[in-house]
Amino acid sequence: MPSPSTPTLLQIRLRCLRTPAGVLLHDLAIDVPGGAVHTVMGASGAGKSSLLAAVCGTLDEGMAFDGTVHLNGQRTDTLPTHQRRVGLLLQDDLLFAHLSVLENLLFAVPAGPQAGRRAQALAALAEVELPDYANANPATLSGGQRARVALARALLARPQALMLDEPFAKLDAPLRQRMRELLFGAVAARGIAAVLVTHDAADVADTQRLTHLS
Amino acid sequence: MFPTSFAFARKHLAALLLAAAVGLPLLWSLAAAALAGLDATAWTALASQPQTAPALWLSLYTGLAATALALAGTALLLAHSFGTPRWTRLLGRLPAMLALPHAAFAIGLLLLIAPSGWLVRTGVALVAPFDAWLGLGLALDAPPAWQSTQDPWGLGLIAVLALKEIPFLLWTAAAQLQRPDVARRLTLELRLAQTLGYSPRSAWWRVAWPQLLARLQAPLLAVLVYSLTVVDVALIAGPSTPPTLAVLAWQWLQDADPARNAMGAAAAWLLAAVVTTLALAGLLAQRYGRGWAAARWARGVALIDEVKVRQAQADPVAAAMTCTDTARSRSAPTQAAAYGLGGGRAGGGTGALTLAYSAVAAALALGSVIGVWPFPDLWPQAWTWQAWHAVADSAPVVWTTLGLALTSSAAALLWAVAWLECAPLAWQRRLQGLLYLPLLLPSVLWALGLHRLALAWGIDGNITGLWLAHILCVLPYVLLSLQGPYGGFDARLQAVAASLGRTRWAFVWRIKWPMLRAALAASFAVGFAVSVAQYLPTLYVGAGRFGTATTEAVALAAGGQRSLMAAFAALQWLLPALVFGLAAWAGRARRFPAPARVAPPAASASKKLSHTLQ
Repeated sequence: MPSPSTPTLLQIRLRCLRTPAGVLLHDLAIDVPGGAVHTVMGASGAGKSSLLAAVCGTLDEGMAFDGTVHLNGQRTDTLPTHQRRVGLLLQDDLLFAHLSVLENLLFAVPAGPQAGRRAQALAALAEVELPDYANANPATLSGGQRARVALARALLARPQALMLDEPFAKLDAPLRQRMRELLFGAVAARGIAAVLVTHDAADVADTQRLTHLS
Repeated sequence: MFPTSFAFARKHLAALLLAAAVGLPLLWSLAAAALAGLDATAWTALASQPQTAPALWLSLYTGLAATALALAGTALLLAHSFGTPRWTRLLGRLPAMLALPHAAFAIGLLLLIAPSGWLVRTGVALVAPFDAWLGLGLALDAPPAWQSTQDPWGLGLIAVLALKEIPFLLWTAAAQLQRPDVARRLTLELRLAQTLGYSPRSAWWRVAWPQLLARLQAPLLAVLVYSLTVVDVALIAGPSTPPTLAVLAWQWLQDADPARNAMGAAAAWLLAAVVTTLALAGLLAQRYGRGWAAARWARGVALIDEVKVRQAQADPVAAAMTCTDTARSRSAPTQAAAYGLGGGRAGGGTGALTLAYSAVAAALALGSVIGVWPFPDLWPQAWTWQAWHAVADSAPVVWTTLGLALTSSAAALLWAVAWLECAPLAWQRRLQGLLYLPLLLPSVLWALGLHRLALAWGIDGNITGLWLAHILCVLPYVLLSLQGPYGGFDARLQAVAASLGRTRWAFVWRIKWPMLRAALAASFAVGFAVSVAQYLPTLYVGAGRFGTATTEAVALAAGGQRSLMAAFAALQWLLPALVFGLAAWAGRARRFPAPARVAPPAASASKKLSHTLQ
């Protein structure tokens, strides 16, 4: 867990988040240092997922974000999503069904020599304890295995921040615990600033870094 | 501030250009057709024509009967097969059925049911050995004198249209049922209904069908319009004294006399007015029938809602009690049937449809190689390839058919993909009516508009005009078949791809289009089949200078060259069937190798790379 003096990596300043129906969120400030997980909780419809989408730049048509997002000192809310270096993990793993597990991972590896990219993907697969599943059809994996592949894929893109939208919601209790360890460990080891949306208090990594949306 | 305002503006500009590229000729054609109908003398002449009223009546009842039968057939087939292996098998056969053009189907059916056709000959062959004993005089030595083709009641026409529209409605229903969001919800609701003690079939009728029917409005309207206004099928299988109003309008439009031309335009508009009235009546019936339907289905839906609420409250005990109580109290044996809706009857329905199409296809294939075939012989005395040699000698016809179909369906597919990618959803919704207009206007009116457009633009009677006309005719079908899969595509995948650092184009090329490969290939095949089947635009815009398999087959249907007619009709079917087959091959699901261990990088390298990753 980063010390309180660790500099902020991700800074979110939200003045207003609007949907066609009206104001969803307003006046919100979140600072996340590298390696920390900031948790956002709140009732359904409170705007948790929309907040993450605003940081990623994937808000639905008709929604508008008024505010700023800085990542490592650089303003990112004016950049297209693919240039923000903000990873995304959702409740559904969203593996690409037509690609093998390895190809899913390769899609995330930045450009470079083919052999090196492949080696990175295989190493990431080993890291999430699935070294034998490179050529597997994602549809044949269990929920827990799919979640781990999705995590490996998100990390392979080398994000500076990670938006986690209830990534444990579909896992059973033992798997949730294992995924928490893997995910929080990877965030800490890589110095990523993570924002976690959850309904489960057990997911809260650091009670000092918790925002409750009403 | 919009981070991607330039891309946003570029996307809107592209959508605007795409809308103009199709909207302009569409609106021009519509305006030209409207102008052609603004002739009071023509309307007076139409009203005083003795053929008008009976032709209109014939069009009305054949169109309505065919649509009603097609809908009933579709509903029954779905109720009896959805969720069973039979549904999967039926889905597999649909492309082959859709590939068979209406005109070819009509010709094939006529070869079967004509007084000298296969059915009568088979009947005679079966009865003949016992006839002396029965004394019924059924051992005919000449074709019976009954009118089983082009009958005055339009029964043959109704049969052709109903049988031909069932696969189309099944296909549009399948497009809805295969949308992940719709499929997930319907499956859950059907299961819920069954846990409440409703039999699978009852659950289907109460829960799934009302929802599906609401989504089939547009295809149903397209079927009604087609059935009321079709010309080529009515020429082949419909009555001739009088013919349907669409055929009458077509005959008048082809007349050298400008006054009769104008009367043809007025008749085409009369058909359009009838179609519009029926569509409005349908909408009103739906609005006011909703109360009745709601009451009819209220019981089942209310119970399902109750279970949903209980589940939402995470009260498993209440849910379990509801399940066991209702299952005990109502039709428990049906629970065991699960999705096996109706066993034998289900197989019978899908089997009958398959049999009808197989018989028609066989009639076309065999009919094209028949030589001398005296009645009542079941089999011809000689088989001959003469008709196919004649087809081969008509190379320009084959090449025109192929070239037009390939290029117009490719262009329509490119346009549809670009439109669905670039146009904002609000634009797509607003322009839907205009883009689907060719499906909702009588084909004869549409052909008239296209002809006027070609004349105004100086492209009548040449291949460019014909190509444009085919694109405009093909496009709504391609868009219709692609819109469902595109709409159902999980938009979150794009967000995930972008979060992985990939551009929109990388996502589209490597993820979206490969995942939609089957739908893209199928849409192309649909466009190809629609182009091959075009009759009026080919004749009218092409000024009769370009023959295709369809124009040849329809022209031959009026003559006595049975094998040549069957050969062209078979060609009309084989070309789309081939493309549908290729589309199925191109869109097949990927086969992954069996799980095998992949050698991980050497331990030291792995550690180093893990470190790099960190």
